[in-house]
Parts: sequence; C-alpha cells; structure tokens
Amino acid sequence: MKKLADLVIKLGNVDRRWIFIIIAIVVMYPLFKPLGLPIRPSESSQEVFNTIDALPQGSKVLLSCEYGPSTKPEIHPMAIGVLRHLFEKGHQVYVTCLWPDGQFMAREALEQVAENEYNLTYGEDYVLLGFRPGNEAVIKGIVSDIRKMYTIDSRAIPIADIPMMNGITNISDFDFLFSASAGYPGTVEWVQLAADPTGIPMSTGVTSIQVNEVMPYVDAGQIKGILAGMPGAAEYEKLIGKPGIGTSGMDAQSIAHVVIVLFIIFGNIAYYLERQRSKKTF
Amino acid sequence: MFWKRQIPIAIVALVGTLTLFGWFVDQPDIKSFVDDDATQWYDILASFAIFLGALNLLKLQMQKIIKRKKGWQYSIFAIGGFIFAFTVGFLMRGAYTVNINSAGETPQVVAQVVAGEIGGTIQASEVLLGLIEEDAPLMLEKVHFTGKSVNKVANQLKESGADAKIIPASWGAHLTTNGSFFNWMFFKVFTPLSATMFALLAFLVASAAYRAFRIRNFEATLLLGSGIIIMLGRVPIGSKISSWFVLYVIVLLLGVIVNSWKRNRILTFSTVGIGIILVTIAGIYMGWPIDRPAFAYLPKLQDWIYLVPNIAGARAIMIGIGLGVFATSIRYILGIEKSYIGE
Repeated sequence: MKKLADLVIKLGNVDRRWIFIIIAIVVMYPLFKPLGLPIRPSESSQEVFNTIDALPQGSKVLLSCEYGPSTKPEIHPMAIGVLRHLFEKGHQVYVTCLWPDGQFMAREALEQVAENEYNLTYGEDYVLLGFRPGNEAVIKGIVSDIRKMYTIDSRAIPIADIPMMNGITNISDFDFLFSASAGYPGTVEWVQLAADPTGIPMSTGVTSIQVNEVMPYVDAGQIKGILAGMPGAAEYEKLIGKPGIGTSGMDAQSIAHVVIVLFIIFGNIAYYLERQRSKKTF
Repeated sequence: MFWKRQIPIAIVALVGTLTLFGWFVDQPDIKSFVDDDATQWYDILASFAIFLGALNLLKLQMQKIIKRKKGWQYSIFAIGGFIFAFTVGFLMRGAYTVNINSAGETPQVVAQVVAGEIGGTIQASEVLLGLIEEDAPLMLEKVHFTGKSVNKVANQLKESGADAKIIPASWGAHLTTNGSFFNWMFFKVFTPLSATMFALLAFLVASAAYRAFRIRNFEATLLLGSGIIIMLGRVPIGSKISSWFVLYVIVLLLGVIVNSWKRNRILTFSTVGIGIILVTIAGIYMGWPIDRPAFAYLPKLQDWIYLVPNIAGARAIMIGIGLGVFATSIRYILGIEKSYIGE
C-alpha cells in the first residue's frame, strides 16, 4: 500500500511535458480515427435553428463575423452551418465584420458555402460589406444609416451598385441578425445597441468561454438561442443534417475533457496522500 | 492652462450631456448628432487611434532593442513583422491578374502560354480563348504578387500575338482578393501562428488542472465539482454517462463527507452501504434509464448550472458594471473625473 501511495505521490509531481504528450495523443487520436459519439442538440441550439427555420423565404439576414484565426475552430463551423441553413431557405445574407480578421473568416466561409456549394451570385444573394473600425460606433452607424457607414463593400464596389442593397438603409430593413462572436465587440454590443432597441430578432454563436456572459440575454429572450462553443456548432450541424468540422472536432474535445477530469481526480488523490503524509511527519 | 484644462473639460461635459440626453429627448437634431455625427467622429478617432497604437508599438519595441532589455531579440521579430505587414498592406497591391482581350492571329501559340499560366491542357486553353468576345475578355485566374511577375506573363502573351492587359486589384480590395500577397500573409503566416498560440491553451489548462485544481476548501470543492460537470456535460461523451453512475459517485462522496465530519467508520460504511442499496433498488425499479433521474444526468445538470447559478452571478456582475459605468460617466460629465487630461 505504501509503495502504491509513493507511486501516486511521485506521479502527482510528474514533469508537465508528460501531461502535454498525453493531451497531444488523446486530441490527435480521434481526429484520425473518429469515435462517432452521439450529438444531442441542446434547447438553446434548437432555438437558434427554429428561429432561422421560421424566417419567411427571401428574408434579409445580417450576419456579423467577430472572430479570428485563434477562435476559428469554435466559431467558423457555426458560421458555415448558419450560412448553409440560410442559403438553403433562400434568404439574402449581408455580412459585416467588427473585427479586422473577421473579414477574412467571412470571405472564406462565403467562398465555401455561397460560391462552391450553392453557386450563388455576389451582390444578389449575398454581400460581404466588410470591416469598419469603431466597435460600438459601427453598430450604431448600421442602426441609424448603413449607407453612411458603408459607402463601398469589401470588394470596393460602391454600395449603390449592389442590387441587393436596394431598399436597405438601416437595421430595421433586416429581418434577422446573427452574430458569430468571439469577444469584444460582439454579441453583447449587438444586443444592447441593435437588437434590443429596434426589436430585430437575433441569435448568436459564441465561444464556450463567452457563454456565461451572454446567457442572461438568452434567458431574458433578448437573444433567440445561442450556439455555445464547438458543441453548439456540432449540434447545429446535426440539426441542419450536414455534419462538418464541428462534429469531427467533438470526439477530440470529448476525450480531452475526460482526460483533463481524470487528471484533476488523480492530482487530488496525490495531493490528499501528500497532505496526510506531511501531517504524520509533523 | 485654459486650453489644456478648461476647454477639454467643457468639451467632455457638453458632448457627454448631449449624448446622454439623446436617449431621453425626442429632438431630431440631438438624435441625429448622437446616432450619426457622434458615431462618425468616433470612427475617425478610432482610425487615428490605430496609427497611434502602431507608433507606440514601434517606439516600445525600438527602445527595448536599443537598451538591450531582456528578450530584445523578440522585438526584432515584432518590428520586422510590423514592417512586413505594413508594406504588404499599404505599399503593395500584391494582386495582379491578366486579361486577354483577343488571342490574335496565332491562338495556338497563345494557348501554350495560357496553359503554362493556369495549368491544364493546351486544347482546353484554346477552347477558353475561343470564348473571348469584344466585351468579355478572358481573365486568367492566377494572381501575381508583384508587377515584375505579371509583366513577364503579359509580355509572353503579347509576344505570342495576344492583346493582353494587366489588371491590378483596387486598393482596399487587394487585402482580401483571393491569392493576393496580403491574403497569403494572413492565411499562411498569421492564421497558423494565431491558431498555434491559442491551441497551447489546451496543454496549459491540462497542466494547470493537474497541479492547481485542488480540493483545499469548500469554495474550491464547489468550483471543482461544477467544473467537472460542465466539462463532461457539454460534450457528447457526457450523454453516455448514466445518471445511475453519477448517483453511485454521489453516494461515495457522501461517505467521504461523513467520514471527514464524524470520523466514525461504522457510520461511514452504513451511509455508503444504505446509499448503494437505495440507488440499486431505485435503478431496478425504474429500469436503469440513462437519463433518469434527470438531476443526476450530466447534460441536464450542466444545463441547470448554466441557467440558474451562472445567470444569477452573471446578472449581478452586469448590474454592478452598469452602475459603475453610470457613476463614472456622471463623474466625467460633471468634470470630477479628470484622468484623461493627466490630473
């Protein structure tokens, strides 16, 4: 028994590089050999799906991309999933970005979904308005007069020359707002300055770490559902019936979480044994 | 002193008051100022702030190099990266394509150059050249980073008899044009670096969880318990863990609590034994459904944590922040808070 306790205490102080190696292996393994764990859509993901699904055909949807390469694994699958759902239902999508790198992410998503999968026409079915600096001021600008905020789109085409911009002057001309957000400025600013004052229905997709901050708005009904982190993306992919990168990432995340929980438990056992031993020594 | 002190305070007080009243007064001019003008002023200031931030970055990094402070070598990379990104974004278009308006009298020769440029067979290129009309030139999709590179192709085409024209991407659009230099830099340099930095978090979290997530007191235990529930409940594997397994774990934890509290072996064993018997009887009676009882099913449990204690805490923080922002704003408007003028 003493030898076992010694071993546990020794393992409790193991070099952290061993932990890094274990994490690397458990994350990589399911990526190469998917486990196919079942995905259960949560109520909040279901609400996002239902809200988008209930939009009348040909609705004008404002999609805002506030994320970059670092949070791409979590948010990008959501943007892809939502775009697929929107284009499947025949809606027009207007994309804005409050983050400079969001424009690159948005372009990549539109290229994949609008151009390659649905073969849609730029300027008629979708438009990438692009990034503007100013954070909340950009949202305020879109709420009051989008044409003052955007005189040209991301391709340097004048707004007046884009067919689907006809009749669009401010946020009230949109039927729905979706914010794919990884932080500030993002979901909270959109709900406070755009969705809530104007009454435009809004849903969001955020990183796992942001969920705590955004949940009060979801609970109050100011946001119609939330896609929470990579699990939210995977759930949405399941709801639209098109599994993608979110779904394949869930196996890796599941195993990584289990291993981290096991680390916590094991670390605590080692800590308990060490404490008991030090009590006996004194 | 008047220009440096009284005037800035007066401007802040006036603009702050106008902006605040814009929300309460239904006066078109004030509303227009708040909604349009003030936000555009902010945009302009924000744009200048980016330049100031860039200059500050350069200044700090240069100082670090000149004074040979610890880690000054990294500053060389920071400045080098800045200059590279600045050059690629502001000084270079980095995106040139070639349009062929006419294949001339020797389309076979032109097709050879086109095939070399875009790939594919010479026959396929000939077909593409055949589609050229007066108002519909053939746009070669390959994007060149430099004028020198695109000139070479354009000259080859001209020499083979084609009427070719170089089309540079317009300023602004050159940043996101597919295949442009800036676009290449973003996806091939910035994206992998950024993703790598963020991915390191997984390793650090695992290491920290192993070493620092300890049951030291009641609060730490509560945090640990809810952390484990959230981590397992949020992922698909959590829905595979039966609520009966969780109930057995709860019984064992109850035994640990009773043992630490009473230090009585008989009482501890009785608690654990009775608990196990009760859970087993309930399981047999209910038929061991994986998600019943719901309070012990991890996905439901994590939903509850998100929706009840988490929202309560988040709202309390939000209300606190809101009150803090309000108090600070009033201090600015009334001229009490003067830190922005260095006082």
